Amino acid sequence: MRARVAEPWVEVPLQRFVDDARVLFALLLHPSGQVLGQFGFTRAVDVMAACALGAAIHASASQLGRELDGKPFRELYHAGRHRQIFIAETPTIRGPLILLTAFDTESSLGLVQVFFRNFCDMLRTAVPPVDEQPPVFTGDLERDLNRSLAILFGRARPPLADRGPSHPSE
Amino acid sequence: MPLVNYATREITCKIVYYGPGRSGKTTNLHYIFEQVPNDRKGKMVSLATQTDRTLFFDFLPLDLGSISGFSTRFQLYTVPGQVYYQATRKLVLQGADGVVFVADSQARQLEENIESMQDLHANLADHGMDVRTTPLVIQYNKQDLPKGLILGVDELEDALNFRDVPSFPADALHGLGVFETLRGISELVLRRLSAGSTAGAR
Amino acid sequence: MSSPFEGMLEMLTRQRGVVGCLIVGEDDGIIVDVNVQVGIDAPVIAALAAALYRRARLSSEAAGLATVNFLQLEAERGHLCMAGRDGLVIVTITEPKAQIGLIRGAMLQSVETLA
Repeated sequence: MRARVAEPWVEVPLQRFVDDARVLFALLLHPSGQVLGQFGFTRAVDVMAACALGAAIHASASQLGRELDGKPFRELYHAGRHRQIFIAETPTIRGPLILLTAFDTESSLGLVQVFFRNFCDMLRTAVPPVDEQPPVFTGDLERDLNRSLAILFGRARPPLADRGPSHPSE
Repeated sequence: MPLVNYATREITCKIVYYGPGRSGKTTNLHYIFEQVPNDRKGKMVSLATQTDRTLFFDFLPLDLGSISGFSTRFQLYTVPGQVYYQATRKLVLQGADGVVFVADSQARQLEENIESMQDLHANLADHGMDVRTTPLVIQYNKQDLPKGLILGVDELEDALNFRDVPSFPADALHGLGVFETLRGISELVLRRLSAGSTAGAR
Repeated sequence: MSSPFEGMLEMLTRQRGVVGCLIVGEDDGIIVDVNVQVGIDAPVIAALAAALYRRARLSSEAAGLATVNFLQLEAERGHLCMAGRDGLVIVTITEPKAQIGLIRGAMLQSVETLA
């Protein structure tokens, strides 16, 4: 399985981290909960849920750090019975990003921490400057939106091409 | 900004349902969750107290399908409404691409609505978001209650909608206005996203 | 606050050719106590050595060879020696000319006190 990314510059560092640290899942996300890259998930909606929770955990831990220590905690580790999670922040020129990763006995917290440092270094050199070019929508945005929402709410039938089993891209 | 993947032509937007406690934010998400087919939604994640009050947030990922050439996904969040969850509301609001303010139409809740709206503005400002340009719609929920208990839409508009944003009367429990509200905020978010791009867009 | 491993680490690092010594958790690869020369990246060594020792122990057990007493990695610029017990691993980093026999003896003696 390969890492899947929303932005191409994320792919190499993320794949390298996954390979080196031998983790089961990895998510690189923005503190708002938006995913930039993932490894190990099969459904996009599951990725979004994991990102929402990961961002919330990180935000809570950071805030708790500010309350207790005057500055945010940057890393969080949680040991489950079979799997463990590690959440940490990495600074980039695009602002901080969060890595959430889950691993089992194939890896260890020490290895994850070590390869996380490498990941941060790789990411720092890979990240391009912010490019906020708006997307160019083709077609009629309002009509398409109305049609999509109507289908979503069962108020219209999907066009033939859209029927049948749908698999949100991973 | 919404996340745009140009390579795969995917857009992901974060929409936050904001408002005072018990105004019906979670009810909106529940209704949407029930309406949407399984292949277009993820699990609804609710971090709630034992009495089902939202503790951290509710979260519902939706797959809208293709819109104007982009595969579009929405992440719907609610915030906890109670006053003492101020810090949590601020965290959830981070990076929001659009906000639905769910107001409680009951006359006795007017103060709470106003306080919550002020709280929303303060939190947006704290995140460095321009209140005037952040996509926002208002939903006047519980309009199904007896007339003696609620304020009319005009009165609520006077009290809350000083920016003249799109507003929608609703009865979220039975789904009235929920769809329209989601459509309203979706349109604002996508229009804002496309602002500046004219090729092919209306 | 002094650690219960302080004396052991001092004794091992006094051995000729030893440039550093670490006590590491075998499962998490995290340093419990450390005494290394400046310039040695202890967290990286700890994580990788613990993973190596763990693999070796599991391989040995899978092959029916029972416990790994001592693990030695010979490299161009020195040696990495490991001995473990009850979830802890002693990791020693040495120069190429170190007297591994003596170090091995000291480590095996020390490992008995880890329990």
